[in-house]
Amino acid sequence: MEKQLLRLNVNDQNYEIYINPKTLLVEAIRDHIELTGTKRGCDTVSCGACTVVVDDMAVKACSVLAVQAEGTKILTSEGLEVNGKLAPIQKAFLDEGAFQCGFCTSGMLMSSVAFLNETKKPTEKEIRDGIEGNICRCTGYNSIVRAIDSVAKGKYTEDKV
Amino acid sequence: MNKYTVINPHEPFKVINTHIHNVDGWAKVTGRAAYTFDIKLPGMLYGKILRSPHPHANIRGIDASKALALDGVKAVVTGKDTLGIKQGIWRRYKDLCDEQILPVDKVRYIGEPVAAVAATTEEIAEKALDLIEVDYEVLPAVFEPLDAIKKGAPEIHEGFERNINVTRHIEWGEVEEGFEEAEYIREDWFRCGGQAHMCMETRCAVSSYTPDKKLTIYHSNQSPYYMQGLMAGVLDMREGDIRVVAPYVGGGFGGKFELDGAIFCTAILSMKCYKPVKIVYTREEDFIASKRRTPMFYYTRTGVKKDGTFCAREAKVFTNGGAYTGMGATALYLTGFFHSFPYRWKGYRYDGYRVYTNTLPSTSMRGFGAPQAMWCSEQQIEWIAADLGLDPIEMRRKNSHQEGTILPGQATIASCGIDQCYDEITKWIKGKGKLPANRSIGISACGFMSGGIFNWFDSPYSFSSAVVTINQDGTVELHIGAQEIGQGSNTTMAIICAETLGVKVEDIKVHSGDTDHCPPDLGAWGSRQTLMTGNATKMASENAKKQLLEFAYAQSGLNIVYDLDIKDRWVHAIARPERGEDFVKLVRKALRGKDGQKIVGRGYYTPHRKGMISPAYSYMLQGVEVEVDEETGKITLMDSMTAHDCGQPINHLGLIGQLEGAFSMAAGYGYLEYMPYEDGKLMNPNLVDYKMIRAPEMPPANIAEIDTYEPEGPYGAKEAGEGLTNPTAAAIGNALFHRFGVQMKECPVRPEMVVNALKEKKEKEAAEKK
Amino acid sequence: MISDFTYLKPGSAKEALKMLAEHQDDGKIICGGQSLLIIMRQGLVTPEYVIDIKKLKDLNYMTFDPKDGLKMGATTTHRTIEKSAMVKEKYPVLVEMEEKLASIQVRNWGTIGGNLAHADAAGDPAPVLMSMGGSVKVASASGERVISLDDFYTDLFETAMNHDEMIVEVIVPPRPAKSATKYQKFNLLDSDQGIVAVAATITLNGGGVCKDARIVLGNAASTTIRAKEAEKVLIGAKLDDAVFQKAGEAAAAECQPVADIHASEEYRRHLISILTKRMAKAAWEQAKISG
Ligand SMILES: Cc1cc2nc3c(=O)[nH]c(=O)nc-3n(C[C@H](O)[C@H](O)[C@H](O)COP(=O)(O)OP(=O)(O)OC[C@H]3O[C@@H](n4cnc5c(N)ncnc54)[C@H](O)[C@@H]3O)c2cc1C
Ligand code: FES
Ligand code: FES
Repeated sequence: MEKQLLRLNVNDQNYEIYINPKTLLVEAIRDHIELTGTKRGCDTVSCGACTVVVDDMAVKACSVLAVQAEGTKILTSEGLEVNGKLAPIQKAFLDEGAFQCGFCTSGMLMSSVAFLNETKKPTEKEIRDGIEGNICRCTGYNSIVRAIDSVAKGKYTEDKV
Repeated sequence: MNKYTVINPHEPFKVINTHIHNVDGWAKVTGRAAYTFDIKLPGMLYGKILRSPHPHANIRGIDASKALALDGVKAVVTGKDTLGIKQGIWRRYKDLCDEQILPVDKVRYIGEPVAAVAATTEEIAEKALDLIEVDYEVLPAVFEPLDAIKKGAPEIHEGFERNINVTRHIEWGEVEEGFEEAEYIREDWFRCGGQAHMCMETRCAVSSYTPDKKLTIYHSNQSPYYMQGLMAGVLDMREGDIRVVAPYVGGGFGGKFELDGAIFCTAILSMKCYKPVKIVYTREEDFIASKRRTPMFYYTRTGVKKDGTFCAREAKVFTNGGAYTGMGATALYLTGFFHSFPYRWKGYRYDGYRVYTNTLPSTSMRGFGAPQAMWCSEQQIEWIAADLGLDPIEMRRKNSHQEGTILPGQATIASCGIDQCYDEITKWIKGKGKLPANRSIGISACGFMSGGIFNWFDSPYSFSSAVVTINQDGTVELHIGAQEIGQGSNTTMAIICAETLGVKVEDIKVHSGDTDHCPPDLGAWGSRQTLMTGNATKMASENAKKQLLEFAYAQSGLNIVYDLDIKDRWVHAIARPERGEDFVKLVRKALRGKDGQKIVGRGYYTPHRKGMISPAYSYMLQGVEVEVDEETGKITLMDSMTAHDCGQPINHLGLIGQLEGAFSMAAGYGYLEYMPYEDGKLMNPNLVDYKMIRAPEMPPANIAEIDTYEPEGPYGAKEAGEGLTNPTAAAIGNALFHRFGVQMKECPVRPEMVVNALKEKKEKEAAEKK
Repeated sequence: MISDFTYLKPGSAKEALKMLAEHQDDGKIICGGQSLLIIMRQGLVTPEYVIDIKKLKDLNYMTFDPKDGLKMGATTTHRTIEKSAMVKEKYPVLVEMEEKLASIQVRNWGTIGGNLAHADAAGDPAPVLMSMGGSVKVASASGERVISLDDFYTDLFETAMNHDEMIVEVIVPPRPAKSATKYQKFNLLDSDQGIVAVAATITLNGGGVCKDARIVLGNAASTTIRAKEAEKVLIGAKLDDAVFQKAGEAAAAECQPVADIHASEEYRRHLISILTKRMAKAAWEQAKISG
């Protein structure tokens, strides 16, 4: 199959890659652009490890063709930190120990970021529903819920750039 | 969201049990942490494994010529390309080494590797699989242990009569006398399901064999040292010629310390074509071919006095071992041992039979046989209390282990905080007041080991070792063989090292997960690292510190009755802490006095004279509040409280994470995670049909930490990694019992089973009325 | 592994229909891809052409007027429906349904058109929309037609659409007076697909008698189905618990659920009966107080 040119904007950087049109967005990000923070944990769009933010929406990058993301702005876990300065949600994950093995963490962070942008004063139930699409086998989720909650409550506001 | 209380805390430490961030945290929250899954080496090929579609078949022949002819295919291997060595992690017992990862002539479960391909792309490798022709002679198969032990059942391994793979007998005290004294005896049969480890990172490996005949392997595992030893065995190589690197590991839970198809097949493919080869299991492969928690049939008979004093217990267990031994032999032992926990018995007897079947091999999984043991024990105890009209908490309390309890020939309990656990859970239950009509609470007690004493691997090394090196600028290198798999062991060891040396965690760089650079250690299993590697780390740190303090003494000219110490990078006399010297300055001076050699401290630990199982035991009692929809049977977990004794907590955030995480896995085992097989085929090998707790299902996991002091542990610490996988299923079962009076004998308890149990109960009551 | 295909990106619905006409035998529409890419990965469908309608602006709209009701372009995402204040006011059950449909990620990218076209008997929107008398407008290069959802599903993953047709619009009629719809799925995890699901619309007359009832069952047969026997029990009746119970039993008797590892056939029938009873009652209670 002939490869075609695809322009993607990931973490505010433009990339030109040549791909087979069947390439999934997660494959473009991991295998072509070589940002491996985004993970894959299933073949059925079930686990959320591949979650990235596309035009401010959390999306599972294994459920989208890379070509469908042309013209969008994509944010991955690597794009959260700016010049060594961690984003509030990253700090909160550290403070709450909201990760263990870390394999779900990138996806979890991206779901959290999109959720926090959308929902200003979330209830605990809303936070839980907000990360429902992400499986974490290690933490039991409560530390992640606490981390999201503490960002929502403004614990890290002074950090916002 | 969660309450965390500490009961009788110890003296504050500088570092231990303070709010320390995970030392790998920054890498994990920025997407920088590279896992085996992420590794790409120059010239790397991609491998795929062809798997058996049959549960039991002879391999008559394999024709891979068409696959080899496909453009891009670089190598194909089958059992014939291997040395055919049967391996197993119980290396010391030859007859339990029964698994060829690529079998030469026979497959014994659906999903077993049959051949492997390396190609320039994953897609070509996958296409090549379709071109491999395997000639099978399909054999009759057997799937359930109670069928497999029948006379005339298909023979799965030659020479194992009735397919019995391992037997285990445990006995202490006076069992018969105990039953004679008993005024009430109850016996029950139970059935416990399997469970998938479901690590988010599926099994994967990258192997690279080079012309100097050295093999480098990146592998997602829990014990690089075991992998090195096992691979040396199957490849007939020297351990030292194999380097195993386990970089960041995406979960283990007991499922990643045996050889798997990924590590083995990448190695032999790489040895064939001298190129790095990578294999990543799909989620489906991970489900069908990476082992599971051991399903068990339990018979247990318990005798007590009318006042609730426990007399004797005997249990008989048949486990579904699946096709091979693996770690399942240990699970067979431990389930029997923990079935007695955490109680005193006049006599206890256990007979376990691990039975081969033509299903996915079963193995260790977080809790290591104890969740099954507690599912049966803790429910039966609840029913006995009800049968006798006794308070189930008080009945448990009066029979529980205490400091000094001896389990003859097995263990001596040096620290035990369970008594206070009962207080805390009682308080929690009382605090709830009257529950809504559709809710109830179940409780369950248990204990767990802090590392295993057994050496079935036959390691000549200490169980744990650590090396502490102090650089001229006061930074510290800590080399350990312990494996970080998310449980936080790197952080825990950094904390122990910092506390002991008197420096800060940020001064310490932890090196782990690489057999070339780290001392051997049995790795992450059996909740062993905090105690064992912790002891080695503490010893190495003390050793390095002592070398430093020798110089400090020499230069200060202090009277020998005064003690020197280091805290917060300040070397000082304990009696006069303001008098002292900066840590870095002292290090520089010490270096000069040592011919410029870095200060190196060594530490090691192997348990001695600590019984048969473990040097120390954690204790816990858990209460779970459950809501059940009576009409549909749907179970919802509303709240939970765990009172927990892990000795002195070391890694505060890590501990909470372990307890909450274990709860979610344990709860899943109780009511969601289900592995149905039909004719040897797993029916739900994907995350759509395999249900696990997700954020909305997870209730608060409140914790009351009972601080005790364990003399064998570093700073008094015990395990906290696996123990909490054990009580929850039984607590859920007990909540159902209190609500409806139904006795659930099979786990996981699915809603349909609840509905059926209620129906049965109604029918029975109606029949009795007549 | 997904098999190779040629990717086509039409600029308008009209262009998409032209492409579809050309590739009706070897082409497949992709919208959100949330379902399609999974089955493509499993090799269950292997189109040679994939026609991407996800970004078509002319299929992305939502309008309401009291006479015609709600109209949603096919590419309207689940999340748009869930977040719409208008939908929440006029058809609150749609919002309740969407909130429990999969996870935010899937709702952000998956579309109502794709969902209905996918024809999974366990899908959530179909029972709710069917229960409200909804229909879909399908179009081909040669014209358009409106198909009532009652007639849309023909078999397991099969619809009444021809190969050159696609859904362009979803239509929900205005809600009658004294009418309400309720929906619930039974599942093990909060937002999982339903093991079974029931949608119930109850419309009352002035005297509080049931004037109309539409009971729709999800995952209780090879397609989403109406429970007509249950409806008969309800229509014309003065509603009370005994009637709801009877309606539940009727629905349980008339459905054709298939056993799988999650639930036996018998248990599914049991669940259908319970959910039908509950949803009919909940809809009734809501209808009583609605204008
Ligand atoms: C993890 C997960 C959980 C889910 N849970 C639920 C759930 O709980 N309830 C539920 O209802 N759904 C659920 N779904 C399914 C999902 O909601 C829908 O399938 C999805 O929204 C379909 O929309 P799409 O735009 O992604 O369709 P696509 O995947 O792009 O297409 C699906 C099918 O419809 C065809 N198609 C698409 N658009 C049109 C059109 N306009 N006209 C004709 N044919 C078209 C395609 O050719 C394809 O055959 C889940 C999906 C996932 C991945
Ligand atoms: S990889 Fe599991 S949802 Fe995308
Ligand atoms: S941290 Fe391991 S899966 Fe979430």
